Amino acid sequence: MSIFELIRLALSRLGSSRLRAALTMLGVIIGVASVVALVSVGQGTTSSITSRLSSLGTNLLTVNPGAARTGNTFGAAGSSNSLTTDDADAIRTLDDVAGVAPELSSQQLVVAGDSNTTTSIVGTTPDYMTVRAYAVWQGSFVSDVMVDQRLNVAVLGATTAQDLGLGADAIGSSVSIGGLPFQVIGILQAKGGAGAQNPDDQVIVPISTVQKYFEGGDTVRTIGVSVSSAPQMDTVKAEITALLRDQHELAADASDDFTIFDQAQLLETASSISGTLTILLGGIASISLVVGGIGIMNIMLVSVRERTREIGIRKAIGARARDILSQFLIEALTLSLLGGVIGVLVGLGVSALIARVAGWPFTLDATTLIAATGFSAAVGIVFGVWPARQAAVLDPITALRYE
Amino acid sequence: MTAAIIDLQSVSRIYSTGRVEVPALRDVTMTVGEGEFLAIVGPSGSGKSTMMHIVGCLDRPTAGTYRLAGTTVGDLDDDGLARLRSRTIGFVFQSYNLLPRTSALDNVAAPLLYQGVSRRERVQRSTAVLDRLGLRDRLDHEPTELSGGQQQRVALARALVTEPALILADEPTGNLDTAAGAEVIALLRELHRQGRTIVLITHDTEIAAAAQRQIHLRDGRIVA
Repeated sequence: MSIFELIRLALSRLGSSRLRAALTMLGVIIGVASVVALVSVGQGTTSSITSRLSSLGTNLLTVNPGAARTGNTFGAAGSSNSLTTDDADAIRTLDDVAGVAPELSSQQLVVAGDSNTTTSIVGTTPDYMTVRAYAVWQGSFVSDVMVDQRLNVAVLGATTAQDLGLGADAIGSSVSIGGLPFQVIGILQAKGGAGAQNPDDQVIVPISTVQKYFEGGDTVRTIGVSVSSAPQMDTVKAEITALLRDQHELAADASDDFTIFDQAQLLETASSISGTLTILLGGIASISLVVGGIGIMNIMLVSVRERTREIGIRKAIGARARDILSQFLIEALTLSLLGGVIGVLVGLGVSALIARVAGWPFTLDATTLIAATGFSAAVGIVFGVWPARQAAVLDPITALRYE
Repeated sequence: MTAAIIDLQSVSRIYSTGRVEVPALRDVTMTVGEGEFLAIVGPSGSGKSTMMHIVGCLDRPTAGTYRLAGTTVGDLDDDGLARLRSRTIGFVFQSYNLLPRTSALDNVAAPLLYQGVSRRERVQRSTAVLDRLGLRDRLDHEPTELSGGQQQRVALARALVTEPALILADEPTGNLDTAAGAEVIALLRELHRQGRTIVLITHDTEIAAAAQRQIHLRDGRIVA
């Protein structure tokens, strides 16, 4: 018997008991749909985390001061004043460093006309754009000359500009920061984000200006280092460590008075966590697929019992064991594959909906689709084989007598 | 004598249930020639069902040899038996045994399915046979939509569609009223006239009288 004959037979059989077929498929539909939906949610989360992290700057190393220490009392990490502008300049001389941006920030009241907002005033250098992956929307960014001259110039973050009611025409106008007049020279492109860590709610000024008016001294809070390529990250990190220990004249047995934070590490950790999550979700969903498969097996066993006489008749008129086996196997396979295809469609619908609500891009992952369909076919075969064998080995005489 | 289609030599069939052995057929020797119409007659428990199973290649003899159309049945495995049934025998059962929820046409075409005949040819041949048995306008009817007599005619059509060497009818009139039963017997006689080999198994001597030759079974032995 050809496969087409078998499929035709299976479809006509399923067509004659539609409700039962639909209910049996429902198990597989739910299983496959949840696998597809949950895996897609997992992948959506991963890509959303990854894109958010890389928007903070690519190949970024962040050097922070160590904990302040008075006797045996340690302060919070980053509380000491061990990093200086000189450290930043020294790091700039290293190979494979694409940009170095020391940062020193201060919370100040910013006033423009009738509007005002209290936000973070970040003092930095021109490299900040590369290191933190910002782009200028209007006007220009802080230049080296401005840093040298300690000019009172300000580049507004997109949210800050909006809060102050300033648009493109504000370039060249004057705002008051901490009571001092600053000239607005640019407005940054929005990065997106919200809340306390909003990367668009800040004002960029030359670092020298912050040191002069707000914080004093030549210490910096953070040094952002952009490494020219990802494979160099570890080397550069080691070089910076050696360099800063040398700069700070630390004894060989003294611990570092700074920490270097690796963006890539965070990224790796985050994606490995969400990758594990995806596998976990997919795994849980697969359980329901297996349950669906058991449903198919159950129905097929009932079906073999109910159709014992039919099997007897078919054998009497010339069906071989393998004809009966393939008939029942194809029937189970048709059920599970049909359920699998419907499940994939439902799953895609659900994941498109979730992606819309959560606001991440909906991606159609061929691997998941093929895997889900293949898995449902496998479920059909695995759970269909036993009932089909039961049918195939029936003795025709006994089967014909069965009432 | 014409060539033997059925050749049973000292055939026995013994059922073993645990330690008890129940002989259903004992040392039966019988031949049926091509074109014969034979009735195997016996009361219930005489071994005629076992005889039907053996002759119909649904079962193998415990002892003795059975040759059907030249093939020794005892040597075959289950698939071999299935192939032999498919090629050589057309069954007609007491309870019609049509496939449920399946049209008359598909029922008749089913044996051809297992012979690997193409769909087009299956439809063609099945339609022709049903037409010959006066069921032209019942092709799409399912068994439940047919009378007993019509169902048995569909079953007969199914037995004929493969052009088998042997028609094996097991109490074909058992579930029918007298008129429908007579019709089926008339059909069998008609087929016999056309040169088909028919073995009719029945407990009813009146029905058996339609056959050309009778064999009587009692307690698993041929008594006449």
